[in-house]
Amino acid sequence: MHQSRKIVPALLTAMLVASCGGANVTVNDPSIPKPLIVPLPLNVAAKYPDVFDHFVHEEKVMGKEKWSIDLGRSNRLLFTQLFDSMFTEFNVVATDEDPKDLMFDALIEPSIDAFEFSVPSQSQTDEFAVWIRYRIKIFDNEGVQIANWPIAAYGKSLAGSVGGDHALQRAAILAMRDAAALIILQMDKATGISKLSEAHVNRDMPSSETEDIPLQTTAAEETPDESS
Amino acid sequence: MKAANNQTTRRLLMLALSGALMSGCVTSRIENIRENTTGIAEGEGIVIMAKSYHLGNETEAKFISCVGNSVGRGSKGLHVIPNTEFVDALFPWFEPRTAPAEAKGLPTLMSRPGVAQKIKDKGVRYVVWLDGETEKVAGGGSMSCAAGPGGGGCFGFAWWQNDSNYEASVWDLDGLENAGTVSADVSGTSYLPAIVVPIPLLARTQNKACNALADQLRLFIISDEQV
Repeated sequence: MHQSRKIVPALLTAMLVASCGGANVTVNDPSIPKPLIVPLPLNVAAKYPDVFDHFVHEEKVMGKEKWSIDLGRSNRLLFTQLFDSMFTEFNVVATDEDPKDLMFDALIEPSIDAFEFSVPSQSQTDEFAVWIRYRIKIFDNEGVQIANWPIAAYGKSLAGSVGGDHALQRAAILAMRDAAALIILQMDKATGISKLSEAHVNRDMPSSETEDIPLQTTAAEETPDESS
Repeated sequence: MKAANNQTTRRLLMLALSGALMSGCVTSRIENIRENTTGIAEGEGIVIMAKSYHLGNETEAKFISCVGNSVGRGSKGLHVIPNTEFVDALFPWFEPRTAPAEAKGLPTLMSRPGVAQKIKDKGVRYVVWLDGETEKVAGGGSMSCAAGPGGGGCFGFAWWQNDSNYEASVWDLDGLENAGTVSADVSGTSYLPAIVVPIPLLARTQNKACNALADQLRLFIISDEQV
């Protein structure tokens, strides 16, 4: 009886501490479904930055909660799965490998410009929201940059149904899935990557007119925003 | 044996009575606007989805699953295909960012490679887009609670009013058109009087809106009435 009187306040205190202390969230596999698309006839290589293997973002809310989200290798997994579905041939280039030694139509270098999230105590709603700003640089097989495309992805999840850490995890996965959908939908329009296939075909033909193909897109004109 | 039966019946009656007493007052209005004829054949089903949060929609996940369960329940229940299964099968065409905002975008969507076939394989005849939310629109009263070594208790009175406004747009994937909309507007006030123990008298507006919308939606889809 005496014992239970000590246990109950201890449990209550533990619950209170747990409910206002934030959480460490890990996203291991942001697996996207196989896209219902026709792959572009391109031989594409991708080179990932080191941060794609261990991305951790922390946020302290009003001096109270501390939330951290560890995306681990999930960006690498996401982009590999995505590009593998989007192009007829796809390979990942190791960081120390020189792309000039490889045969490809296009080299894609994705990166993360910014990562942000909000928790219910910040937004005064019961939602967790995640924003990710990726940047996709595309180079042709001679190393000339043909596109520099910033994309903003967003995901949100209600805290009530699944609990705080799961809601943040889900919001992050939804943001990554949103990025994948946006890339599938707009990549060619924004970067003109499919023209590299035409360039490839024309280069192999006897009378090449590759130089006339307008490869530089408006997306390539944009300069990276380093402010955030 | 007979005495035990009587006791059980009395308890059940008490439970039913207290259940009825412990719910607040609710008023509801259900409407539908038909734009095209509907009807559903054997082997055809529906998908219930939330309108995109990219468009500012806040429909609760539990409301969507509630409507899905209610529409599929009973002898006249419709075949409801889980929305995650549908969205995954058609990735990326029904993502919050990419799903068509209006029914007039359906022909373009269906002309994309593999989309029409995948929808046919899944047996989806209608997509129902849910929009709306439950909001607390007013409230008042006060209550204080205290606890000490000898026990605890509350004293006071609180009330709040919830409005559940939802609209379901029904898109016909066969005719590639908007079949119409069904809407539910449920309003209710909950009370919480407390003399030592708080006694909640809850107006379950969201639950009521879910059941009413689901019933009307089922009738709307099955019905072959003319426009």
